[in-house]
Amino acid sequence: MSVYKNTYRAYTGPITPLWMRVYALARYGFAEAWSSKITVALFTLSLLPFLVFLVGIYLANNPIAQILVLKSVAHPLTVDASFFLIVLQIQSWIALILTAWVAPRLISFDLADNALPTLLSHPISRVGYVFGKFMAMFTSLSAVTWVPCLVLFAYQCYSSQQPWAAAHFSIAAGVFAGAVIWIAFLSILGLALSSWVKWRVVATGIIFAAVFVPAGVGAIVSAVLRTKWGLLLNMPVTMSILWQRLLGTPEFMHDAASLPTAAIVTVLVVACLLCVAMLNARIRAREVVRG
Amino acid sequence: MGVIDLDRLEVRLGARTVLDGLTGELQGNAIGLLGPNGAGKSTLINTLLGFHSPSKGTARVFGLDAHRDRAQIRGAIGYMPENDSFIGNMTGVRFVRYMAELAGLPSGEALERAHEALFYVGLGEVRYRKVSTYSLGMKQLIKLAQALAHGPKLLILDEPTNGMDPIARQRMIQLVKEIRKEGSVRLLISSHLLRDIDETCDEVLILKNGRIAALCNIEAERRSNRSFMELETVGATEKFSVSIRGLGCECACFPGGRIKLVIPDHIEVRDLYVIASEQGVQIRRMNQRRDSLEDIFLRAMDSPMDNEAGRPTHVSL
Repeated sequence: MSVYKNTYRAYTGPITPLWMRVYALARYGFAEAWSSKITVALFTLSLLPFLVFLVGIYLANNPIAQILVLKSVAHPLTVDASFFLIVLQIQSWIALILTAWVAPRLISFDLADNALPTLLSHPISRVGYVFGKFMAMFTSLSAVTWVPCLVLFAYQCYSSQQPWAAAHFSIAAGVFAGAVIWIAFLSILGLALSSWVKWRVVATGIIFAAVFVPAGVGAIVSAVLRTKWGLLLNMPVTMSILWQRLLGTPEFMHDAASLPTAAIVTVLVVACLLCVAMLNARIRAREVVRG
Repeated sequence: MGVIDLDRLEVRLGARTVLDGLTGELQGNAIGLLGPNGAGKSTLINTLLGFHSPSKGTARVFGLDAHRDRAQIRGAIGYMPENDSFIGNMTGVRFVRYMAELAGLPSGEALERAHEALFYVGLGEVRYRKVSTYSLGMKQLIKLAQALAHGPKLLILDEPTNGMDPIARQRMIQLVKEIRKEGSVRLLISSHLLRDIDETCDEVLILKNGRIAALCNIEAERRSNRSFMELETVGATEKFSVSIRGLGCECACFPGGRIKLVIPDHIEVRDLYVIASEQGVQIRRMNQRRDSLEDIFLRAMDSPMDNEAGRPTHVSL
C-alpha cells in the first residue's frame, strides 16, 4: 500500500504493547479536550486565582511589600493550612466547571456517531476504553487543581524565611489527597453522565445538576426529618468537611451537624460505584438485548 | 486449521437463541456470509470479535478462542461495521491514524499507514476533511480504510456496499478483489447481495434461523460437472417434484410452478417427461444451466434443517 503506487501491502513493522493502547486513548482524549477554545479559556480563568494567591504569598513573606501594600489591613497575611484550604476550594470549583465542559467532549463524540463498535473492535477492552478517557479527564483536571496548589506550596517553601516546608508538609499531602479525591470523583461522574446523553450541552447541564440538585434534596431531607444525614447528599458541604480534615483546619460546622469521615467516604464510594454501573451499561460495542 | 472454526457454537441474547449449534471450518481466502435478516450473520461476526460470549461451544479464529483470546484476535482483525461508526468530529486522516494506533501501530507508522490507506481506498484528496462532512459512500470507504490501516490478517466486512451507488459499489468490489488477490489478508464478507459475494468470495456460509444452511466452496461447486435444470410446469407441481425426487434427483420448488433440479447421470430427460405425462403435468419450459450462488442460496433456504447438528438435511452441495 503506497501513496504513489496505490496498492495494498501488509504491515510488518513493530507493534506496541497493550498498555500503549490505553495511553493512545488518553492522548487523543486529552487532545480532543484541549482543542476547544472554551477549555483554554477556562484554564486561563483558573490561573487568575492562582496569580492572586501567588501575589499573596509574596506579600506574606516580604515585610517591606506588606507594609507598603497592606498598611491599612488590621491582620497580617499569613500562609497556613486555612490559606491553602481556600486555594483548594476555589480551584476545585473551577475543576467542576471544566469537567462539565470537557467530559461530554470525551464521550459524546464517540456515542453520537456510534464509534464504539469500531473502537472496541481493536485490542482494547471496555475497561481500557473508560480508563483511557478517565486519564484524559484526570490529567486535564490536575492542571487546575493539585498542580497549581503544589506550585504555590513550593513557592511558599522557597519564599519563607523559616524552615517552613518540613513543618507544614502535611498541608501539601492534604492538598494533594483532597484534590485527587475530588478530581477522580468528578472524572468518573462526568464520564458516566456524558455516556448517557448524546447532546453535549445537555450533558454539561446534567453534570452541574448532579452536584447541586442532590444538595437541595439533602437540605429538604434534613429539614423534614430533622437529621444531619441529609447533608451527605450535599457534595459541596461534604467535600469541604473532608478537605478541612485533610488539611487539619478548624471545621466550619458545629459538632452536632458534623459528619463522620467514614460516612463521607462511603457516599463517595457509592456514588463512584453507581457511575461505574452506568458506564458498564452504556459503554458497549452493541446494544444490550433484554428479555 | 481453518481461518474460522466453529464447534457447536450457541449464542443466546436475552432469552433468544440467535446462533444454534454452528459447526464448521471456514478455510477460504474470501468467505461470504449469507442469510436473510435475523439469520445471525451480525451476531456471528460480533461473537468472532468477542463482543458476545458463547453460551455453549466455541468459535476459533486462527486457532485462538474468540472469547478468551479476544485481545489477540482483535489485533489481527480489521472490522468494517455495517452501520455508521466513526468519530465525525475528526478529520479522515486523524481518525484512521487513531484506529491504527489502537490496533498497535506506533504513532509515526500509524500516520504513514493512515495516509496510505486513505489514498488506497480513494479518499486521499479529502483526508483532511472532517468525517461528518463525507458522503455515505465516502463513510463506507473510510470504514474500510480504518479496517485496513494496521494490516490485519482477517478483514471482516459487514455489508460493505450498503447504501452505495453502482459506481461506488463497483469500486468497493474492485478493492475487495485486489485485497484478496494480494494474498496476505483473509476476508469474511457479510452481505445481503448475492452478487457481491459471488464476485468476491470463494467460500460461502449460509445461515438460516441461526443455523448453518449451507457451507460450500463456490469455486468447487462451479467446477463440478453436475447437470442442472430449470423447469416451468403447470399442474400438480408438488406431486411431480416428489416423484422426481424418487428418481434420485435433488430438487427445489418455487412459486409459479418453477422447479430447479440436479439430474444424476443415470437419469434421462425422457424420464421426466414420462412422469409428467403420468401425472398430467405440463412441462412448458426446460432450461439446462450451470449452478449459481443464487441456486445454492435458494436451495439452502428451501431445505429443512436437522435440529440436532445444525446442518441442512437435504441440501447436497
